[in-house]
Amino acid sequence: MDTATAKKMDPFLAELAGIVGPSNASDAKHIRYAYSYDLSFVQPKLPDYVVMAETVEQVQEVLRLANREKIPVVPYTAGTNIGGLTIPERGGILLDLKKMNKIIDIDVADGVAVIEPGVSHAQLAAALGPLGLRFGWPVGPPSASVSSCCISHGIGGMNARYGLQSQEITSMEVVLPTGELVRAGSCAIQKDAWHSVLPLPQLDGLFKGWLGTTGVVTKLGINVHPAPPILKIFTVSCNTTQDMYAYMFNLSNYEICDDITAVSWWLSQVPIPYPYIPKPADAAEWNSYATTFSWSEKERDARVEIWEKVVAEEQKKGSSLAVTHYPEEALRGRTQLPSQVVGSTKNYCKMGGAGISWPGTFTPAKKWAPVYTRWKEILIGHKLSPSVRMSMYRGVHYGMLRAMIPFNKQNPAETENARRAIVECLRVDLDEGGIPYKPPVDFAKEINLRADPGYLMLLKRVKQMLDPNDIMNPGKLGF
Amino acid sequence: MDWDISRLEDLEHYIWRCTACGTCRVAYDFGPPATCRPICPAGTEFGFEGNMSSKGKIAFARGILDGSLEFDEALLNDIYRCTICGGCQSQCQLDHKPFIPEIMEAMRRKAVEAGAGPLPLHKNLTRSLKSYNNPYQGPRRLRTDWTRPFKKAGRPIKDIMKQPAPVLFYVGCTGAFNQQARAIPTATASLFHKLGLDFGILGENELCCGSTAMRLGDAEEFKRLATQNLELFKKLHQEQGVATIVTSCAGCYRAIKKDYILSSAYDEMMDGVRVIHTAQFLYELHQEGKLPLEGGLEMKITYHDPCHIGRHLNKFEVDADGSQLWKGAYLGVSEAECLYEQPRELLKAIPGVEFVEMERNRANSFCCGGGGGVMTGFGEWAAKNAGLRIQEGLETGAAAMASTCPFCHYNLSQGAQRIASDMKVYDLVELLDQVVPAK
Repeated sequence: MDTATAKKMDPFLAELAGIVGPSNASDAKHIRYAYSYDLSFVQPKLPDYVVMAETVEQVQEVLRLANREKIPVVPYTAGTNIGGLTIPERGGILLDLKKMNKIIDIDVADGVAVIEPGVSHAQLAAALGPLGLRFGWPVGPPSASVSSCCISHGIGGMNARYGLQSQEITSMEVVLPTGELVRAGSCAIQKDAWHSVLPLPQLDGLFKGWLGTTGVVTKLGINVHPAPPILKIFTVSCNTTQDMYAYMFNLSNYEICDDITAVSWWLSQVPIPYPYIPKPADAAEWNSYATTFSWSEKERDARVEIWEKVVAEEQKKGSSLAVTHYPEEALRGRTQLPSQVVGSTKNYCKMGGAGISWPGTFTPAKKWAPVYTRWKEILIGHKLSPSVRMSMYRGVHYGMLRAMIPFNKQNPAETENARRAIVECLRVDLDEGGIPYKPPVDFAKEINLRADPGYLMLLKRVKQMLDPNDIMNPGKLGF
Repeated sequence: MDWDISRLEDLEHYIWRCTACGTCRVAYDFGPPATCRPICPAGTEFGFEGNMSSKGKIAFARGILDGSLEFDEALLNDIYRCTICGGCQSQCQLDHKPFIPEIMEAMRRKAVEAGAGPLPLHKNLTRSLKSYNNPYQGPRRLRTDWTRPFKKAGRPIKDIMKQPAPVLFYVGCTGAFNQQARAIPTATASLFHKLGLDFGILGENELCCGSTAMRLGDAEEFKRLATQNLELFKKLHQEQGVATIVTSCAGCYRAIKKDYILSSAYDEMMDGVRVIHTAQFLYELHQEGKLPLEGGLEMKITYHDPCHIGRHLNKFEVDADGSQLWKGAYLGVSEAECLYEQPRELLKAIPGVEFVEMERNRANSFCCGGGGGVMTGFGEWAAKNAGLRIQEGLETGAAAMASTCPFCHYNLSQGAQRIASDMKVYDLVELLDQVVPAK
């Protein structure tokens, strides 16, 4: 600790330092400043303290202290979300968990990995690879946290096969806002059993999708899967959303793909054009890539045969579907995951300059076309690219619909322009039955406006039960 | 002589190209198989986001520029807790990538201009530069101490100020003054003698290259030293026939190659003069069949890439006028001038050597922890970080670690001692000197 800091250390900081050690606690402004913003349009706000916990016991102590003093706590792993989820709404303690980065176990037989919150996708990928295992890597930065992605209902490269990242969760250990250590799933019954949240009551649901407002997940069990050696990527284009949806729906019925995704022309560019430019007249509106893995060439050929059948069926219907070439760098970035090329960086933000946010939603697939039409009008009206992605989830009935919107964060007017457009898009989607994931506060408020009173009552009651002093990431649920 | 050295304000546009995505934090390679390890020494040691890679340092730069942050003791410490190794730069994909080390040094320059920087321990270095023309407070007569054995053996090294020679061996301050690092110029000169090379040194007339001043943010002191050196190089070319400046110091090489070009007179001053690092110089001789290697070294060796002759020599392509993408867009990088393969090829050529690679290598090499003023400002941490690098070398089964930088050599040796490792640390020239026969 610096001498100046030591001399004027406030008593609360001294207590924090007593828990995590002096080198892991700070109230220095420049240290706090680095946690005050992220990629999103959310206005920067400073925490009052930053602490880095290295053990579960330290997390418990910090939360007990914060609860006693009624000081907010914002859990933080890598800060790579694009919804301002770790920007403190009401100051308090920024609890940085990156030093809790152990891969505690990889059970090859059970297909389960047990990880701490600071474990990154790149770290887990490096550990799983030699064991012939894989996970559904998202297109976030390689340094992003696996745990945060899972508990925030993030998406990954195997959503069409295994569902959302949160559906891969098998067990968890959590520190409650009041400091107690609890477990959900099989590890709650037998401490070394991390294989399943079922058939117990799904108490893990108390901590998934809550944006860090109900506790701090300190260990997470997740399914990991065998990695077949042969990758085949099916690439097609369509001129209309309906045609693309029909193809994706048809292909997904065969359950041969790990990921079935379509991206609008603007999102298939590296980088996303900023400001908006019209797409070339001869370019298709949509490009799709669908990944399929096989154990043998014969299996791959059978999968290709199915895909060719789907393509033929769609074309017979008069679809604009064409087998096509997907831009090489973009394809690499989207299939060689985790990727530095996509990673919320090069292809997303590079042209805009520092800023990226989204309306990111789970939307009924049949609503993709009307929502996209409206989004396109709104975004182009704000001179922003309609850089939209649609991905099928396992089960087909709904999927991920989102627009990645870069903007120039150095310019407040351009940032506000993006925010307005994104919130407007979000309203359209909500009104069509879509639900945003990892929502910034602006979105949370829009959700609550439309929510059933009973839902809100239950939400608040559960929150009150778990966090009686409202210290955990307060404000993020929009109330 | 005019110098084009950026102020922090000049770089503001690029500072705002950072998204804070954190891709810069880990040395990651898709593979397959994927590899991933931390890349930032400061991030590894201190851990706060502000300490972490370029993401953190750029947060400081933004805060300084928007008036949120002032140069207090704590901020200054963290600005100087960076080895300027460029490891984060290798990971970044955005438009500010080419300027990342520049942004960090521009922050230091702003601190120096404000009278706040550098740190007190660093001020010993900059004061010494002003008084002694070297950062070690070494009287100039000590610069030639390492040459005594040559004189004693009847093989004196030419004083190039008095005797002409086509090759100037620019020794560098660390090789001349640091007891442990003196093995490097000694081995270099021994090799040159064995190869029958006509070379000379500046001896007591050698000045610091200015790298230390530049890395610490003292642009004025850098300019003074660099200007004198450029003028001296021109004079040596014209009057003593120097056509090649060879140095075994990675820091000097980086300074002359990459910092001196910020001078408006660089082309004129260096006209007819080629600057080259020993690794490249010897590699070229090897390629031409002029580096005979005899005997052998039964040794399992790994190689540590010094930042200054590795990724610091990246050449970035930027769309300066916006004709390709947009103004200031980062287009690509060439590693053609990075000395990654030359030292490896030379090590592999030594009979008996079994060469093994550490996981983090070349552009993803993990800095020894000694650069950017860290060895002086935070000696304990520098050695601790070097211990991590030694540990990585031990994981390969290597018994020795070679490098091509006197700073790395010293710091890695400290690191080996700190973790009580038997790992032997060598400079490449020390190993080659053992297998190149005397004529």
